[in-house]
Amino acid sequence: MASAVGIEFSGVTKRFVSPTGEVMTAVRDISMSIAPGEFCAIVGPTGCGKSTTLTMAAGLEEPSAGAVSVFGRPVTGITPGAGFVFQSDALMPWKSVLANVALGPTFRGLSKADSTAAAREWLKTVGLSGFENHYPHQLSGGMRKRAALAAALINEPKMLLMDEPFSALDVQTRAIMSNELLSMWERTRPSVLFVTHDLEEAIGLADKVVVITAGPGTVKATFKVDLPRPRGPLQEIRFHPHFLELYQQIWDALREEVARAYARTATAMPSGAAA
Amino acid sequence: MSAASSTLVAAPATDAASLALRARARNLRRRRLVRLSQAAVVVLLLGSWEFFSRIGVIDEFFFGSPVGIAERLWDWAINGTAYGSLWFQIYVTAKESVLGFVAGVVTGVILGVALGEVPFLADVFQPFIKAVNALPRIVLGSIFVMWLGLGLASKVMLAAVLVFFVVFFNAFQGVRSVDRNLISNARILGATRLQVVWHVVIPSAMTWIIASLHVALGLAVIGAIVGEFLGSQYGLGLVIATAQNTFDANGVFGAMLIIGLLAAGAESLMALVEKRLLAWRPASAADSSAKGI
Repeated sequence: MASAVGIEFSGVTKRFVSPTGEVMTAVRDISMSIAPGEFCAIVGPTGCGKSTTLTMAAGLEEPSAGAVSVFGRPVTGITPGAGFVFQSDALMPWKSVLANVALGPTFRGLSKADSTAAAREWLKTVGLSGFENHYPHQLSGGMRKRAALAAALINEPKMLLMDEPFSALDVQTRAIMSNELLSMWERTRPSVLFVTHDLEEAIGLADKVVVITAGPGTVKATFKVDLPRPRGPLQEIRFHPHFLELYQQIWDALREEVARAYARTATAMPSGAAA
Repeated sequence: MSAASSTLVAAPATDAASLALRARARNLRRRRLVRLSQAAVVVLLLGSWEFFSRIGVIDEFFFGSPVGIAERLWDWAINGTAYGSLWFQIYVTAKESVLGFVAGVVTGVILGVALGEVPFLADVFQPFIKAVNALPRIVLGSIFVMWLGLGLASKVMLAAVLVFFVVFFNAFQGVRSVDRNLISNARILGATRLQVVWHVVIPSAMTWIIASLHVALGLAVIGAIVGEFLGSQYGLGLVIATAQNTFDANGVFGAMLIIGLLAAGAESLMALVEKRLLAWRPASAADSSAKGI
């Protein structure tokens, strides 16, 4: 399984040039590979460029140096067969839930009837039957997130990119959504890049956790999560002894980076202790 | 809100149905009281205007009187104005306004979306648009009358120019402020550039565009009337200008009243269109915009 080609980052650096000509390096020399069907979580301190790696995998941004390839094809322009779940829901507020979910097939050129039928099917899968004609603002945060998941998964992506998808949800809804995500993932098994700053969430969901250093981010360490699947409820696996062991290891790697990132923001303050 | 507070006050009634019923009855009573008070204000204003002009406190020659205005309107309706039937004058002005409105909105939206979508075009045309926008556009009316003559075209042109800039700037701003995530999402789902514009950019900018239509509608009427002031053969603007020149205060007020009713009618039509186009918005947001008229 590990030998097959999934998502490959080789020596990827991304610099942003501001309109005033200042150069900001978001990530530098990132190399990592995610096998087909692998669930990879990316953790790192705030502002380390976690999201930038996702936008480069999706083809929304081009690397300044190095290359990204997805299933053996170098990324140039929008990557075909990708799904993206944003921190905000990215649902069109002026379209009904059904029309939102049907967007993917519509863009791919399916007829309106086929798109709608597929969207109905997916809304049933995510438990939103009966809410087809609601507008996004009429749904709760968890329901909106389900609709966004359905909208991303309807194209049956081989690569699913998730940018802190559950961070805006309350703790209980978040736990439920994590479990539902896992059961949906088991079904079609796309490769997943899951950005989060919640270490428990990362270990509970992923096969592999990549720790990114404080910005400009690069890969600090990679940890294999060899907890058995299916994982079962996130609320329970947290107490598994091996889970705690992994948590300790990964946190040791992450802690230093969080402290460095914090120190950088704290130097601006009068009592910045850790400068 | 009012239902919740009534549960605190009225302890005896406990079931939800009777509480709701009572809240609704109270709402209805309140609304009726507001309407009655408004009617009273109108009667009081018109009554004192008429009374004071009768006893000579207000000079009827300069300020007219409600009865005088009614008589003038009646006379116009029966015998017609100096330029033909009153209905024809209304028709001419309404036609000029509507044509100007439509032309201004269509060009404003198209150019606004185009410049919003293509930053290069925006950068090139920005100084020119700013320059024209800085000009008090009413003065263009004189040019248009010279170029296009006393007929329909010069008024439509003036109305369209007034409407264009308001709609253009709103469409432009609306396109510029589309949520980037929505665009990224559509692109990842496989949308072409045109599909992004159609499914994301235009609906998103629609809130801005519709907000501008209220103002634009008023400007279309202003454009038509001012155009008629500057030179025309028919129209309510000409009727007002003539009444002014003959010191006919009742005539000026009468024509004003007709224009006001015309604008109010168009405005309520506009509100209907808005309600239909922006049905997706949360109720609170839609409400506040409707009240802001």
